[in-house]
Amino acid sequence: MAVTDVSRKALAQSKLPPWAWDAWRIGSSAVVTLLGLLALTFFMGRMLPIDPVIAIVGEQADASTYDMVYKQLGLDKPLYVQFGYFMRDMMSGNFGNALFTGNKVSDDLMRVFPATIELATIAITIGVSFGVPIGVLAAVYRGSPIDHFARILGLLGYSVPTFWSGLMGLVLFYAVLGWVSGPGRLDVFYIDVVDRVTGLMLIDAAIAGEWEVWRNVFSHIILPASILSFNAMAFISRLTRSFMLAQLSQEYILAARVKGLSKWEVIRKHAFRNIAVQLVTVISLAYVILLEGAVVTETVFAWPGFGRYLVSGLLAGDMNAVLACVLIVGTLFITINLFCDLLYRILDPRTR
Amino acid sequence: MRRLLAPSLILAATLAATPPAGAATPNDTLVMAWNLDALITLDPAQIAEVNGNDIMRNVCDRLVAFDMKDSSKLVPELAESWSVSADGLTLTFKLRKDIKFPSGKAATAHDAVWSLKRAIHLNFGNAANLTEWGFSAAKADEQFKAVDDHTIEIKLDKPYPPGLILSAAFTANVASVLNKETGEKNAKTTDGKSDYGNAWFKTQSDCVGPYRVRTWNANDVVIIEQTDNYWGKKPGLRRVLIRHIPESGSQRLALEKADIDVARLLNSDDLKGLASNKDVHIEQTLMHGFTYLAFNASDPILSNPKVRLAFRYLIDYEGLGKTIMAYRGAPRGSLVPIGAFGALDEKAGLPFKLDLDAAKKAMVEGGYPNGFQKKLILSANTPNPDLAQHVQANAAKIGIKLDLEQMADANLFTKMRGREFEVGLIGWGAGYPDAHSMVSRHAQNPDNRPEAKLAQYPTWRSAWADPKVNEMAAQAMMERDSAKRIAMYHELQKHMLENGPMAYMFQTIRPIAIRKEVKDFAIAPFKVAYETARK
Repeated sequence: MAVTDVSRKALAQSKLPPWAWDAWRIGSSAVVTLLGLLALTFFMGRMLPIDPVIAIVGEQADASTYDMVYKQLGLDKPLYVQFGYFMRDMMSGNFGNALFTGNKVSDDLMRVFPATIELATIAITIGVSFGVPIGVLAAVYRGSPIDHFARILGLLGYSVPTFWSGLMGLVLFYAVLGWVSGPGRLDVFYIDVVDRVTGLMLIDAAIAGEWEVWRNVFSHIILPASILSFNAMAFISRLTRSFMLAQLSQEYILAARVKGLSKWEVIRKHAFRNIAVQLVTVISLAYVILLEGAVVTETVFAWPGFGRYLVSGLLAGDMNAVLACVLIVGTLFITINLFCDLLYRILDPRTR
Repeated sequence: MRRLLAPSLILAATLAATPPAGAATPNDTLVMAWNLDALITLDPAQIAEVNGNDIMRNVCDRLVAFDMKDSSKLVPELAESWSVSADGLTLTFKLRKDIKFPSGKAATAHDAVWSLKRAIHLNFGNAANLTEWGFSAAKADEQFKAVDDHTIEIKLDKPYPPGLILSAAFTANVASVLNKETGEKNAKTTDGKSDYGNAWFKTQSDCVGPYRVRTWNANDVVIIEQTDNYWGKKPGLRRVLIRHIPESGSQRLALEKADIDVARLLNSDDLKGLASNKDVHIEQTLMHGFTYLAFNASDPILSNPKVRLAFRYLIDYEGLGKTIMAYRGAPRGSLVPIGAFGALDEKAGLPFKLDLDAAKKAMVEGGYPNGFQKKLILSANTPNPDLAQHVQANAAKIGIKLDLEQMADANLFTKMRGREFEVGLIGWGAGYPDAHSMVSRHAQNPDNRPEAKLAQYPTWRSAWADPKVNEMAAQAMMERDSAKRIAMYHELQKHMLENGPMAYMFQTIRPIAIRKEVKDFAIAPFKVAYETARK
């Protein structure tokens, strides 16, 4: 409320159009948030008792080699100076080199992030396709076997460790049944067959018209995506159910029914439309969480994705890589929040 | 609802329609699974970890190689012969005349000399393979000389036993012959210092060898392929593909499904599971590395040799070797690994067994009949926690209370290197199969002062030095009579068994699981020869 008051006042004084004010407000808060995030990550990361020099020179290196690399990395400078250097380079679009891969961080991210986007997008698609209908059905048939099934599914989705479900999934669908391909993004036969355009292999294969490769990529991605989607599905179906229950107990539902609308028409046209806004938030959130990468799934399925990259960077004390990753995650969250804000305005007439 | 159900149904249908995954790897390719997390460079002058070392030994030949059947013996590789002057101060290599780079350009002594000097000037950790023998950036131009296209003359500062210096320096990564032209063309200069093409060689190769690097996607895959113009025998398989599969269970499944030919990172449980699989053979190689307990001798209690001796009796070498350490390590108490020049034999190298009475007796003799309390730091990776708990349980029986603290490897190394520990459970790998490799680091300590910061010496980390041992090691190193040299190392090892600052527990085993389709895959401690494998 306070913000709106201030905004009105500022608006009145500055005579700026409303969108400009909004843009400034959102932009500045995004920058402040990201700066804070980077600073916090940097200082916390540097306080971890992990020595990035060892990762480079090896554990058996002598002190002079060690000192040389220590200086090369600028670790002899005070922390705030190191942070200053990082910010300066970052402003010019240079994230520096990742110590633990030896590559430019930006090159690394161009490689690992598409792998995660592809996995997360398919996972969220599966999660939504199953989670939303299950949630709706569970609410409509509350207390019925469907509801119980949804609840058990939700419980499993939350509590089964991905490590276990991933390996079991591999054992069953890959080793025993042979329905899907094993770890990795591609069979060895197909490596380097398709040119890299987007880094999303399904799309790259489609662009090249290599449908055999496409099928192979799909058979590699479907299992990890399904395992990942399980958790998202549990989250989405549980919340869909409770949003839906809240709507179904409202009087307008009864009124609509009394007017003579069929049960499913009421659910579809009235109840579901009303929970759409909330659902968008939940789904976006689930998507961002998937985009952050899933270390365990990526490990089990040998998926060269963002999650493992971030964690390897952290374990090697490689702040260049970690900060770039944090920047991406932060930007994602802010963007998704913004996107939800905008969607609200479109979907919910009251916010206009 | 129908609108929502439709995509789900389509998805389910696609899922069901996905064809079964094809098994078996290409006939001309060796597919190997490993954990490539640590791989950060393919530059022979820079490689400091096991993956890069393993791969580049198949990409770049060395001047001299270890005999694949007996690593303590040397065989010619790029150098067809060598000789040492009468005073022992000049080492001359005769290079093969038929060696070429993958492009077809002849490789000469000038390339070899450039490569050696390059390693010294770049001064990465590997430079120590040369600087340790008196070579230095300042004197490199006089020390390494190309007399003609096929002759290299090397000036030594001392008359080292030829076997020792050849094994320590001229089989190593730094003794690869890189293409000087490529290196100079791609060199980048920053602040007036050349990188000798380091940025280029990090991800690519141009050296004399059976394979060349074709692709490296970090944390994903390394592909090497056969080179044309190679002087030696053509590799049995055209390509070797090393896939990053960081999880043991996933590797095992892929191996059983024949999606990979070789698995390099299997844990004990998965190896035990594979032992009964007729399609898979597990090759165990005794490596030149150790798992050991290190004691900090700056601690008044742990400085007592009797106390350290007591710990050696607290380890059930045999029992652990069959259980926790199955496929991981073989019992070994002496600091020189079996297979190295000068090593004590199996029996003399392990005079200890789990013996609480002997441990107790040593504690009484050391003056601590009622025990004490100390902290044991260790890596959180398996099998270290299990090993540490074993030691902890046995120590408790003679009154020693050990508090365990697990941590990430990087953290453990930092603490050990900084002398910030009481007891540490850690590993070490010897660089070459000569007793001197271990003795120079695990027995000798040139300067024990804290400010010397000799963190590359585990003896210094343990704040332990013994002038007598330093003297014995120095003499053994320079002894040019092999039989005498062996006897000296035996005596030194026996002395260390009783007095040293470490309690060695296991000599590392490297298990490699190989599918039966792969034949003739030659494996030795210092080289896994991809080029010998065929299908």
